[in-house]
Amino acid sequence: MNRVIRAELMRLVRRRTIVITVSAALVFAVVATLALFASAKTSGPIVSRGPITLARLASDRGGTSAFAIGSSFVGFFVFVTIIALMASEFSGGTFRALLLRSPNRMRLMIGKLIATMMVAAVTVALAEVFSFGMSLLLAPSKDIDTSVWFSAAGLRGGLVDFVTVLAGVAGWAIFGTTLAIIFRSTPLALGVGFAWAGPFENIISQSWSTGLRVFPGQVLGALIRGGTADLSLQRAVVTGIVYTAIAATAALVLLTRRDVTS
Amino acid sequence: MTTTTTAPSTKRTATTRSALSVSGLSKRYGERMAVDGLDLDVPRGVVAGFVGPNGAGKTTTMAMILGLVAPTSGTGSVLGHSIDDPAAYLGRVGALIESPAFYPSLSGIENLSMFATIGGHDPAEIPTLIEEVGLEGRGDDRYRNYSLGMKQRLGIAASLIGRPDLLILDEPSNGLDPQGVHEMRTLLGGLGSADRTVLISSHDLSELEQICDWLILIDTGRSLYQGPTRDLLAGTINGIAIAAHDPRDDDTLCGVLAGRGLRTRRDGARLVVEMESGADVNAVAALVNRAAFDAGIVLVELNPLRTTLEDKYLSMVQGGER
Repeated sequence: MNRVIRAELMRLVRRRTIVITVSAALVFAVVATLALFASAKTSGPIVSRGPITLARLASDRGGTSAFAIGSSFVGFFVFVTIIALMASEFSGGTFRALLLRSPNRMRLMIGKLIATMMVAAVTVALAEVFSFGMSLLLAPSKDIDTSVWFSAAGLRGGLVDFVTVLAGVAGWAIFGTTLAIIFRSTPLALGVGFAWAGPFENIISQSWSTGLRVFPGQVLGALIRGGTADLSLQRAVVTGIVYTAIAATAALVLLTRRDVTS
Repeated sequence: MTTTTTAPSTKRTATTRSALSVSGLSKRYGERMAVDGLDLDVPRGVVAGFVGPNGAGKTTTMAMILGLVAPTSGTGSVLGHSIDDPAAYLGRVGALIESPAFYPSLSGIENLSMFATIGGHDPAEIPTLIEEVGLEGRGDDRYRNYSLGMKQRLGIAASLIGRPDLLILDEPSNGLDPQGVHEMRTLLGGLGSADRTVLISSHDLSELEQICDWLILIDTGRSLYQGPTRDLLAGTINGIAIAAHDPRDDDTLCGVLAGRGLRTRRDGARLVVEMESGADVNAVAALVNRAAFDAGIVLVELNPLRTTLEDKYLSMVQGGER
């Protein structure tokens, strides 16, 4: 497994990838923080799942609010990226070529996923740090006292945000990998994944509110946001674990039993 | 029913001297048998050619040997390990199957380094491998910028990582131009050694005839022949092409040769002296030459016609020797 992770990191961690990753984290931080500060209402209660107010930005978790809220859009991006990356391993034949060096299919796929998640963890951490820094820069423009952001509660909140976002990203990554394994074709897997997590879930959920609590994409979205009005964080964690376990099991069974013909 | 021809002088059963052997290997896709009870035995240290028409089951057989495709039935061993446990032997096997597959955004060297790392091999050997396959100076280029020939070469380099005991190469010359085919032939010819067995599938029969000392012919998933190349082609001189300096002497020449008990037939502008099976080609050639000389006819061609692998292959695949 270590060899697979090291090899995958060799592929992922290169100067070009690092520049793209850091740039993406920076752009995310700038856009998310500017949007949050621009849209923050001047009055209103401090409710973690409610509207963004200046009072909320001035609370102990205000420094990472931009990261936590902005990350709710990251899951879908991770989902389609992982589908494209993993499905191209099958359609391009690189998975077959790697199997000739590392024949344990389960170990190979898990190793690749772990390496990808390591890169994702660094990217998420960078995004959080950058958005925290941007929030510090913008706070004086709204007369926000940032001292409380550095309190123990503030740092703990930042850590919770990091873990929930990373957990959500991991869930999306597993779903994406599952679709890639099922279809083994980038356009097909992307089409199905895009249609399901994009229009299908959202349209159905508008007329069937239970969908907000049971659809996998909605569950992972709630997890990344630290819970929603429809789905608490605890419930999102449990449901998310069940869904990803089912997806991972299905993917691994298919992976180990099917012939590798491309 | 198709039967397997095995060279009598070298008939063998799977032993520890076999690099690769399979018995009754089959693969069914729905109603179609891609491989149908195939028996193979490739001795260690040979360069073996794996020949068959499109759809004969070559790639599927290789994929089963490499653990990519699960056999429907059959047994086998590779380097002394059961094919049910590919992890036990794949570390000593290098393979290029179907087509080279690498990451387009990585350079040739980065791709090879990644493959070496994943296989637990020392990436320090990569510059040497790059040089061996003729990619020196291009190793740092991105794979996506490689020509087809360079991609094939990189595939060969990847298969050589870790200096494997068994090389399995599926159509390594596929898609190459004549120059590329020639260079690939030279490269492949140098891969075999006493310590290394090479199994190459190819449609280029002249290539296989030149570089392989062992041949396996299959069709519709079944073995037609396996054994030394020389045994398959032995005794396959089927005539001697002759041409008189003055074509007007042809009829006289035919008469003279008939008088010495030799039959001739016309083949385009030249005559062909037909050979009895088992006849000594040198003796017949000498007889023809003397007869022509005695008749005052000058020969400008005296050329034994050898059955090529292609002739042999076509006769077997088209039913001649089934």
